[in-house]
Amino acid sequence: MEDLKAYIESGILELYVLGDVTPAERLQVEEMASKHPAIKAELDEIERSIELYAEENAIEPSEQLRNRVLGSLLTNFGDDNNFPTPTHVQHENVVAMQPNADKGTNFYKYAFAACLALLLASAIALYNLYTRLNDTNTQLSAMQAQNQHFSNTVSAKDSELNLLRDTSYKLIHLRGTAKSPESIMTVAFSPSKQKVVIDMEGLKLPANDQNHQYQLWALVGGKPVDLGVFDATSDSSGFKNMKAIAAADAFAVTLEPRGGSASPTLSEMVVLGKY
Amino acid sequence: MSKKRKISLSEEELVLSLQHREKIAVEALYDMYSASLFGVISRIINDTAIAEDVLQETFVKIWHSFSSYSTEKGRLFTWMVNIARNLAIDKIRSKDFKNQNKNQEIENNVTFIDEQRNTVYKPELMGVKDLVQTLKPEQKLIVELVYFKGYTHVEAAEELGMPLGTIKTRLRMAIMELRKHFN
Repeated sequence: MEDLKAYIESGILELYVLGDVTPAERLQVEEMASKHPAIKAELDEIERSIELYAEENAIEPSEQLRNRVLGSLLTNFGDDNNFPTPTHVQHENVVAMQPNADKGTNFYKYAFAACLALLLASAIALYNLYTRLNDTNTQLSAMQAQNQHFSNTVSAKDSELNLLRDTSYKLIHLRGTAKSPESIMTVAFSPSKQKVVIDMEGLKLPANDQNHQYQLWALVGGKPVDLGVFDATSDSSGFKNMKAIAAADAFAVTLEPRGGSASPTLSEMVVLGKY
Repeated sequence: MSKKRKISLSEEELVLSLQHREKIAVEALYDMYSASLFGVISRIINDTAIAEDVLQETFVKIWHSFSSYSTEKGRLFTWMVNIARNLAIDKIRSKDFKNQNKNQEIENNVTFIDEQRNTVYKPELMGVKDLVQTLKPEQKLIVELVYFKGYTHVEAAEELGMPLGTIKTRLRMAIMELRKHFN
């Protein structure tokens, strides 16, 4: 009996009544209660006091709740096994959404990867196109320059041809003097147009240095008139317009200091030709 | 709310007719125990609407698992109150409930906090307060935690920093006081 008293006083029975015991303890208490009437009686006492305590603390729920609860119990009177409460349905709904959400994130992962790959491919293609465009632009500008050069050449040749066809021009061949017998050059003179042009391409004069230039003179009534300076270089081409003059008896070229002189240095005369 | 409308049976009659799944038993069960069970649930859950939901769930569970109850195991109320307490504790520990508390509208906050701190005047609790006053302070604390707040005795021991044995002894002493009071 001492053991029973100690068992009762341990407080386990109160915890059993409050549902605060492990399944093993629960079985033990139930076994003790079935074996010992004293424990059964003690349990009954505790249960009654808890029940009375609860009655004393009772709170009347609202009147509508009675109908709601009885309605929910009696509506499913014949269908006891699967009674779904609204909260449970909601829970199931929430759980059911989960796999879809997973699929969604997977889809976006793949979509993102695909977008990145596409972006990379586009960037490479764009770079290739850009390089080719640059090459093409370089070629195009080279060809434009070439084309420009050709049209320049053609128009220069055209003007030379026109000059030669123009009957108002007279070609005067200036021959080398004793100072440079090998020299020769051609001057085209049109008195009606008052124009003097020298043929740079057919020019045969000793090359002048940095400090000197050739100067063309017209002899009008025995007096020399300045018609401008020019350089004799091996790569000179085309015709060169000189200063205008209405009439001339002869043309001569002297070598003068760079920029020309006011009157010719006769000792430096290289070619001479009469009109 | 008149008492006359309510159906009352002896516990033996009630258990028997519930086992036979008679309609009248359901009504009698509700009329006899709804207030006591609601009192317990309301201690654990302050929100009346949620407490009523839990009371409904409690009756549904009692009705559907009634076959697992036998008179040998103890009184009907003991079995039912444990169902109610477990459902209420599950509810306040559930994610839904915690989220709901986080999402309180600002206008509701004043009354919500008042309810949380039990400063709302509830006339039906007057008797309880008096009764709990008759307990010694250390007994009162344990009854508050274990009975009102749904703690297990292990959690109560942690909360109060006491050995489990002391908790058990004090709980027993408190219930002895109640027994004296009711006798």
